[in-house]
Amino acid sequence: MNRRDFIQYASAGVMTPVAIGGVSAQAYGQTEFLNALASVADVNDRVLVIIQLNGGNDGLNMVIPLDQMSTYTNIRSNIALPESKVGRLNNTLVTGIHPAMTGMRDLFNEGKVSIVHSVSYPSASQSHFRASDIWFTGASSNQVLTTGWMGRYLDKEYPGYPAAYPTTAMPDPLAIQINFITSTALLGPAQSMALAVQNPDTFATLVGDKVSIDPTATANTMAGRSISYIRQQQTISVQYAGIIKTAAGKGKNMAVYPTGNGLADQLKIVARLINGGLRTKVYYVSIGGFDTHATQTDASDNTIGAHANLLKMVSDGVKVFMDDLKLMGMEKRVAGMTFSEFGRRAGSNSARGTDHGQAAPLFVFAGEGIKTQFVGKNPNLSDLDNNTIRMQTDFRQVYSALLTDWLGETTATANNVLGKDYEPAPMFRQIVAATEDPFVTFRMYPNPADSEVMIESELFGPGGVQSLRVADMAGRFVPVPVEKLNNDAYRLSVRALPIGNYVVSVEANKRKLANRLMVVR
Amino acid sequence: MPWLSPYSQPLTADQATHLLRRATFGPTPALTKQFTGLKPDAALKILLANQPAPPPPVDVSTTKTFVDLPFNLDMQGQHQSFFKNWWLGLMINEEPNVTEKLTLFWQNHFVSTYAVVPDARYLYRQLALIRQHGMSNFRQFVIDMTKDPAMLRYLDGRLNVAVKPQENYGRELQELFTIGLGGNYTEDDVKAATRVLTGWIDNGFRDVANAAITVTFRANQHDTTDKKFSAAYGGYTVKGRTGATAGDEELADMVDMILRQAETARFLVRKLYRFYVANDITPDVETNMIEPLAKILRDNKYEIKPVLNALFSSDHFYDEAVRGAIIRSPLELMIGTFKYFGLRAPESGTTTFNALGDYIRARSREQQMDVYEQTTVFGYRPYYDTGLDRIWISTNTLALRSLYTDQLVRGQIRPNGVTFSFDSVELIKTLSAPTDPVKIIEDLTKDLFAVPLIKSQKDFLVDQVLIPGLPRYEWENEWTGFLKNPTATRKTSVKTKLDNLLIFMFRMAEFQMS
Repeated sequence: MNRRDFIQYASAGVMTPVAIGGVSAQAYGQTEFLNALASVADVNDRVLVIIQLNGGNDGLNMVIPLDQMSTYTNIRSNIALPESKVGRLNNTLVTGIHPAMTGMRDLFNEGKVSIVHSVSYPSASQSHFRASDIWFTGASSNQVLTTGWMGRYLDKEYPGYPAAYPTTAMPDPLAIQINFITSTALLGPAQSMALAVQNPDTFATLVGDKVSIDPTATANTMAGRSISYIRQQQTISVQYAGIIKTAAGKGKNMAVYPTGNGLADQLKIVARLINGGLRTKVYYVSIGGFDTHATQTDASDNTIGAHANLLKMVSDGVKVFMDDLKLMGMEKRVAGMTFSEFGRRAGSNSARGTDHGQAAPLFVFAGEGIKTQFVGKNPNLSDLDNNTIRMQTDFRQVYSALLTDWLGETTATANNVLGKDYEPAPMFRQIVAATEDPFVTFRMYPNPADSEVMIESELFGPGGVQSLRVADMAGRFVPVPVEKLNNDAYRLSVRALPIGNYVVSVEANKRKLANRLMVVR
Repeated sequence: MPWLSPYSQPLTADQATHLLRRATFGPTPALTKQFTGLKPDAALKILLANQPAPPPPVDVSTTKTFVDLPFNLDMQGQHQSFFKNWWLGLMINEEPNVTEKLTLFWQNHFVSTYAVVPDARYLYRQLALIRQHGMSNFRQFVIDMTKDPAMLRYLDGRLNVAVKPQENYGRELQELFTIGLGGNYTEDDVKAATRVLTGWIDNGFRDVANAAITVTFRANQHDTTDKKFSAAYGGYTVKGRTGATAGDEELADMVDMILRQAETARFLVRKLYRFYVANDITPDVETNMIEPLAKILRDNKYEIKPVLNALFSSDHFYDEAVRGAIIRSPLELMIGTFKYFGLRAPESGTTTFNALGDYIRARSREQQMDVYEQTTVFGYRPYYDTGLDRIWISTNTLALRSLYTDQLVRGQIRPNGVTFSFDSVELIKTLSAPTDPVKIIEDLTKDLFAVPLIKSQKDFLVDQVLIPGLPRYEWENEWTGFLKNPTATRKTSVKTKLDNLLIFMFRMAEFQMS
């Protein structure tokens, strides 16, 4: 880790929540204290594990809104989980977890999991491929990107890959996907930034020990360009084959993994490679089968069946993986996130299944550093968008948090990778002002907003509002232009705000009122 | 540039292998000879001739087919293998005809899988439909596929009823099978199409008592109200109908509405172009190939053969720029190489036939092209959109491709104890100048590679691979020495060198291209 990274790392509040006079250290930027700390740090050894749930996960049966059980049961009666069976989480009475996810529940109760509610993006696609591509590349729904968000991050962090690598500082593959092929998420400007490794024990034997081509230049034709690409893949695989072999030989799993769990099998390899000393930054694993249009629960018991089995695999896999890393003394280096291309409809279909939907919750887990265990709140099942759940957090806010708060990138780099300014979702941050008044007492529209927001209430009283302030999720007040139209109506411009969640608080008529605002673009 | 205008010169050897490599699983030396000198129209008369339906798959244990029997619980896994291996056998033993590769194309268009529809009789029936319609009429094809028993299960059409519509098929029909993404239909159109499709159900799935597999339209489960489509379809309304024929009438009405959209023909033609010509669709190609081919499709009322004929006889198809422009799929690479050396699948239904199928299937599975087992309804990902064929290649799959070609050359493909390989010494004897190492390389690359090698590569193959560290005339000495006195020892020494050369060549990036 270089100095620049370290300052970002510390000031984002990941290592210690540095607060000076109630204002987070980020406002102060480079202090002598941080500079001194930066000089002793030389390597950021943090690892990110991305877990893809392929097919569109039914988030509403994964994280259950206990405060709306009658609506929940009503709209999906044939697949609804009975309230008595829902897994309970510490520090909340309103949100529960699927009973098959005992491992994830335990990790949550240990403070190592954050549930990010209702993650999506504006105008969400319900096509598997398009939606997956959006999640992989970080694109907006009206935009096509050809590189992956992780690929762009790795390309910025390790410029010149693959030609200039391995180096002393980064002797290992930048990213590894436990599969035969690599995900679009890991696609850099010219090629995948990841190595596809199915079996680390046989990888070296399979690829052979020498590059089987001579480095002849190729023509700039369709054929020539593909040939160059294939040669590059050959070169990369041969270069890293020995490194993988050594790490696989040295690494040892210390926990007992379940059998018959394909995701756990992949995570087992990841843990072993981490234990074997690889400095690889990103690992990618996946599990399919979430496209549950029919029979997602058992006919006789909604707590078991196809979807329950999948969730159990995810939960058991993540739990044993984190346990394994803990036994190795390495869990503090590792964070992970689950994601699926979309959630499913809030209401079920007649086949005990659910059709394609929009927003859904996801999990972020980490051996240390989780500070906010709920980002957002339960989806409001009485306010659906065409039978789908409305977005609360943009998925790129989650990416932004992983890039900055976890991997230690600067905000500028994260914004560059993500193409826009996204307020990081606060999993790794203390939320100061995120709790909102449950009694909403003013109207605010549009919400989500991209440019202007109207704030209106007859309750502001004859003097109008005394103060109107906007805070981000870390509790910092952010300046916004306010225009008073009359005592009952105000217009805010949010054009300069990064995409994200904010709390708008108003003091009027001797009352403090607050409401949550989402900025999208 | 003339683009779609017919190319009318006699085919050179390079053009003949190009045509065979793209339209079929690949050339053999004999086929190259047969097609060289033919004009494209004569070549296409052969390649586009209608083929008889092949005999059905056979149960190895009974030597009879199982597709006309009730479902057999004990044999279900075996029947799955017999069916999939039977299909691979048809690919390997294909005639010089587009049918087998086209069947693979369409199965990947209208995806169903055994994992979701675990009854091999259902899939056999579906594949027979695909084979029957692949070269004929797309309108009938899409109508029949909508009512196909395996499809009714794979995309849940059987669960789609008036009181609780199930959108799975209604969505994919538009997104994947006909018009494609890109603002060509709305979410409301998904709902409308779903309502049109209510009421169909299959009968006989995994039925151990009766052999019949049928499809029924249940008029009482059908949504009889009018279905108004969005402005994307010109606000067309499929009139709600009642009675036994309502399902068929509304389906035909809706399919006609979708096929009237110019985008539908473009969507299908683009997919064919990517499969057969090049992975990239430039604006020029869009204007000069896709648009006129789409017109041909529409003008011919969605008959497929005229499009294939125009495509394979176009100037553009024979343009050097598209030669070698596609990364071969695992099946193209494996079956193409297998076929090239004159290897054929043994008689269908024998133990060896089935064991060979198991072997090829295991290799294609690990190279990410599991037969009749696409991981999603989108089909094999490299075919989904432009610029995706590189997905076939990763550090891992590349090594697995080489593993297959290594085993083929080394005689390690031995299903049921029978070796499927070839004698590299005999192969070299058939070349134009076996004593000249440069000519050997030239002859081999001309036939086996879609793109020519440059001089430094050929030099490398001679000086670093065939006879490393020796002057070139030593090859002639070794070879003529062996011919004069062909002892086992001498043969081994030349064969080892030739095998190494072939193994190396098959590992080259150029060999991955079609």
